[in-house]
Amino acid sequence: MAFEPVLTRNLGRPEVRTVRGYRASGGYQALGRALAMQPDELIDLVKKSGLRGRGGAGFPCGLKWSFVPKGGDKPKYIVCNADESEPGTFKDRLLMEHDPHQLIEGCVLAGYAVGANTTYIYIRGEYTAAARILEEAIRDAYGEGVLGASVLGSGFRHDVYVHRGAGAYICGEETGMLESLEGKRGQPRVKPPFPAVIGAFGCPTVINNVETLCCVVHIVERGADWFKSIGTDERNTGPKLYAVSGHVERPGTYELPIGVTFQQLLDACGGMYKGRALKAWIPGGASASMLTAADVDIRLDFDTLAKAGSMLGSAAVIVMDETTCVVRATLRLASFFAHESCGQCTPCREGTEWMRLILERIESGRGSEGDLDLLARVVPNVGGISLCALGDAAQGPVKSLIQKFGDEIRDNIRNRRYPLPRVPFFALGAVA
Amino acid sequence: MPTVTIDGRSVEVAAGTNLVEAALEVGVQIPHYCYHPRLSVVGQCRMCMVEVEGMPKLQAACSTPVTKDGMVVRTSSPQAVEAQRAIMEFLLINHPLDCPICDQAGECGLQDYSFKHGQAFSRFRFEEKRVYPEKERIPLGPNVMLNMNRCIQCTRCVRFTQEISKTGEIGFFNRGAHAEIGTVEGRPLDNPLSTCVVDICPVGALTSTRFRFAERVWYLDKKPSICTGCDVGCNITLEHRRGSIKRYKPRFNPHVNDYWMCDFGRSTHERYRDDPRVTSPAVRRNGQLVPASWKETIDAVFQGIRVKRADGVTAFLGSGFLTTEEAYLVARLARLVESPHRAIWVDSGPARAIPNLRGGIVGRDAAPNRRGVELAGLVPGESGLDAQTLLLEDGAERCAAIFVVDSDFGRAARDPKVVERLRKARFLAVMGWADTPLARAADVVLPAATHAERDGTFVNVQSRLQRFVRACPAPSQARPGLEILAELLSRFEAKWASVSAATVFDLLAEEVDAFSGLRWAQIPAEGQTLPSLSGTEGAA
Repeated sequence: MAFEPVLTRNLGRPEVRTVRGYRASGGYQALGRALAMQPDELIDLVKKSGLRGRGGAGFPCGLKWSFVPKGGDKPKYIVCNADESEPGTFKDRLLMEHDPHQLIEGCVLAGYAVGANTTYIYIRGEYTAAARILEEAIRDAYGEGVLGASVLGSGFRHDVYVHRGAGAYICGEETGMLESLEGKRGQPRVKPPFPAVIGAFGCPTVINNVETLCCVVHIVERGADWFKSIGTDERNTGPKLYAVSGHVERPGTYELPIGVTFQQLLDACGGMYKGRALKAWIPGGASASMLTAADVDIRLDFDTLAKAGSMLGSAAVIVMDETTCVVRATLRLASFFAHESCGQCTPCREGTEWMRLILERIESGRGSEGDLDLLARVVPNVGGISLCALGDAAQGPVKSLIQKFGDEIRDNIRNRRYPLPRVPFFALGAVA
Repeated sequence: MPTVTIDGRSVEVAAGTNLVEAALEVGVQIPHYCYHPRLSVVGQCRMCMVEVEGMPKLQAACSTPVTKDGMVVRTSSPQAVEAQRAIMEFLLINHPLDCPICDQAGECGLQDYSFKHGQAFSRFRFEEKRVYPEKERIPLGPNVMLNMNRCIQCTRCVRFTQEISKTGEIGFFNRGAHAEIGTVEGRPLDNPLSTCVVDICPVGALTSTRFRFAERVWYLDKKPSICTGCDVGCNITLEHRRGSIKRYKPRFNPHVNDYWMCDFGRSTHERYRDDPRVTSPAVRRNGQLVPASWKETIDAVFQGIRVKRADGVTAFLGSGFLTTEEAYLVARLARLVESPHRAIWVDSGPARAIPNLRGGIVGRDAAPNRRGVELAGLVPGESGLDAQTLLLEDGAERCAAIFVVDSDFGRAARDPKVVERLRKARFLAVMGWADTPLARAADVVLPAATHAERDGTFVNVQSRLQRFVRACPAPSQARPGLEILAELLSRFEAKWASVSAATVFDLLAEEVDAFSGLRWAQIPAEGQTLPSLSGTEGAA
């Protein structure tokens, strides 16, 4: 596979953290080229490339930009979603820590395309190193005339601010992020209106993931056709970062063309840990439905995974081998969602906790025969009617547990005996 | 305007109307908890899920506006019904089953929707219900008590304090299944409208400290009425059991108080319960007030006020608590005894503001009907004494007799100095419900009905005429003031023998320009701004 990594090309080269070093590696050329274009041309270019959002939902990036109303007397904002908090996901951190200027360049490009003079990088609170590196890079960029009143002397103004989150998963949801950014309680807003019309501080706002913005740099640099030449098809294009964790020989972040098969990814990671058998894997972070060893030839792209009943999400691939208790693993995910539900909407607030309680009962050997049926009836009510996608996300892993590992649940119900040694689920849900 | 079809019924609504409101237009009630027409839409209870043709998922009706023509909505399709049932189940798994001791029982959104959209059994059988320890009785402020275990996290109260009272005392704390509402230490819920959060709370989480455990709501008789706390004239529902008023609740009137009323207004009925009351007509004999028949009493007043002497005529002192009709009869009485002394006393109170969509109303009088009483003719005639002269100066000495038409006309009715001054008249008749020091000093006492026990109209600070009706009968021998005055008038003119508030109002409307063209039976439920305020002197 003749694939040349672009997003991660500067990894392990600390000199690119300065503007000078980044320029030496070919950086900020795309920005210079874009500033000579009309903003609409830039949007069309991104549309043509087929770039879909790398944060999880996979919404076409160019289309999202084109929803921002032209003109108007309100300021517009770019908000970069760097609140990477989906369990299993650690790709954006890499980009920010190793190549901060690539992200800054992407932010300015997005700002130029939609006419925004300000970017807020909403970064996960725990990413202290990444935040520090970004701050330093931003300071440097102001000094070198990359940011500020006249970006690269073009007369286009752009400011970038880093805003650190305070540790809530829900602030990774775009409207929850906006609320948090505005200094309010981080909880999703009801949509419509969509952020492109009424976003941060009541103004039109584009929210893009870190990786998405980094992709834009390379689309401008190498053209839409280059980007389209990578990937599965017209709708799944470009390079993709896969964050692999779990029972593989070499966990880590891998840049591969979008749409590689799981087996190919697994091979890139050196195969299963100690050669054990694969039992289950999650393709796109905690929210995605689990897949099994039967699905290893599935292409890891948006549409193929959706067809398979799961999703690419943030492409955080979690691999579980035969030693894993999937009920316990799912309980752990369910506990996460119950803990992270913001509590405003009924199905998510009550449903995530109820799912956790049922799973906990089954896992600890106190389950009863009807529990599988009960779980199967409760789960569909949690997603679909919740206010934001967290309800759907919480539903994903449990649903796939029931569908694919029904026998294991039954086995837990019948053969486990209470009391068993309890796993300390870092006291999730015990926050009374 | 776009047309929307809801459950097969089409209606044209303004673009942007949400589906909950649009459905009401065609008589379909979409269940909801968090939605309130005056609060921002947060779409978080998820009770109002409906099916919208062309949308892949169910939509929350409250946050779905009618934007384009031809929307087709189904509120009771199997999918929607299943969603509503699921939400009810979620809301109930952790809700305590303490309805028997919950004040909200009987008017509880959770009970009502359980009945309509819920199920009779629970699948939440193994785990313990979530509780908020030590949070069953949290006084959020002087008027509101929180029981967190009953809360369904709809955040109506939070939004009320942010958006309507604009005081922001209530917040939403913690998250997930432990999300709760509360106040910040040192910032209790203490604003003039605070009890409104009890009204809008769909469950029994917020209860009124005034009404707590006072009565089961299904025993209450509810009658539309008007608050007498100030001259805003908030529309209320007067709720009583066998004549004992238990609470006032705001009654929706977009022109006046919208959905709200102030805490002070809610407390005004407590005087009828706490203050002593006169219930028997009485006449002073040998220095002592002794019970007498109504006939004797009215005869005594008739003799007392008719007497005309060289040193003066009878003065009449009314108040802002009289109905327009009562005031009209008093004015009539004054004319018959040729008295120009038609005084009215109204305490001025602190400004009481009620928000509504037009920016709100501020009331400044401590009585509801100064304007109506004055329009009905209770204003001093030429060289007539005013209330100031009567109560604070030597006015009483210049009168042959004084007829105080409201024993509770203001704070002065309890001032011994004022009582002493009024007592200087040769004859003092006092009508009213309250057994004030003034009533005890009178020669004749006429026990009258309270606000709850009579019909009439008030004219508020915006000159809006509002009608109210009797909620309960007056106790013992007390009678509505209108009846007493009419019987007294019939001693002069036979035509007053049997009149009602309705007939008096219609007569008044013929005579007083400000009310011209109005008829009692045609006063709209929301009241009506007086067509013309010119020529008010004509009534005098």
